[in-house]
Amino acid sequence: MSSVNGKSRSSVNGKTRSWTARARGRAVGALPPEKLLPDSQPAFMSSWIYVFGVLTLTSLIVIIASGSILALKGPGWWHFTGIGHFFNSIHLWAVELFFFFMVIHLWGKYWMAAWRGRRARVWMTGAVAFVVAVPCALTGYVSQQNFDAQWISTQAKDGLNAAGVGSFFNVTNFGQMYSYHVFLLPLAVVAIVTTHILLVRKHGIVPPFELSDRGEPTTREPRLEPELVQDRDPAHAGGPS
Amino acid sequence: MTAAIFNLNHPANTVHWHFFTMSVSNVVVITVMLIVFAVAILAPFPGHRRAKR
Repeated sequence: MSSVNGKSRSSVNGKTRSWTARARGRAVGALPPEKLLPDSQPAFMSSWIYVFGVLTLTSLIVIIASGSILALKGPGWWHFTGIGHFFNSIHLWAVELFFFFMVIHLWGKYWMAAWRGRRARVWMTGAVAFVVAVPCALTGYVSQQNFDAQWISTQAKDGLNAAGVGSFFNVTNFGQMYSYHVFLLPLAVVAIVTTHILLVRKHGIVPPFELSDRGEPTTREPRLEPELVQDRDPAHAGGPS
Repeated sequence: MTAAIFNLNHPANTVHWHFFTMSVSNVVVITVMLIVFAVAILAPFPGHRRAKR
C-alpha cells in the first residue's frame, strides 16, 4: 500500500477504502480473539452433549485424513491389499461414528432448544451439516468400485427416478459420484461445520432453561449456584452473547 | 484374509412388525444410540459436583 506524507492513500476522512482493512475490521469485530479462542466457558457447558459435538469433529478429521489416503492410492489398493483394507475400514467406521455422535449431539441440542437467544443460525448450520453429510456418505457407498456399489447404485437410481430427481445426477456414473464424494460434498460439509463452530464462538452456547419457564408454579426458589449466575452474565468473557 | 468374527456370509436378518421392516444391525445401532443419548443426559459430568461447592 503506497503512502503520501506518511498517510495511507486508501484512508479518506479516517475511513479506510481498503477492502482488506474493512474485512479485517468486521472479522475482528464479530469474533475478537478472546471469543475465537476463549480460555473459559460457562459452567453449563459441563454436559456430555458437547463432548459428542467434539467427537463428531474428531470423526470428521479422521474421515478426511483416511479418505485422502484412499484417494491417493486408488481402488486397486483399497480392495486388494491388507493395508488398503485397513484404511478402508478406518474410513467406514469413522463415518459410522461421525453420524452416531452427530445424531446424539443433534438430539441433545434439539431438546435444549439451542436456537434460543438469537442462535437460530447456530442451530440451522448444525442441522444443515447433517442433511449435507448424508448424501456425502451415500455417494461413498456407490464409489466403492465393487458389486456392492453396483447393487446400491441400481437400487438408488430407481428410488431417485421415482422421486423425480433422476435427471439431475446419475448414481450409476462412478466418475460423477466419486467427484461428489471426494470433492463437492466434503467441501460443503467442511464449510458448513466451520461456519457452525464460528457461530458457536460468536454467540456462545445456549444457557439452560429457567425453572420459571416451565409454565407451572414452582414450590421453591431456583437454586442457582454463584458460578452459574456469574457465567450467565453476557459480559462474562467467552460467555453467551 | 482373516475370517470375520461374525459369520456375515448370509442375507441380513430383518425385524418385521406390521409395516415396520428394518435390519437387525440397524435396530441394534439405533437402540444403542438411544441408550447412549439417555446416559449422556443423565450421567453426571466429571468435575461438575466440585464446581458447585
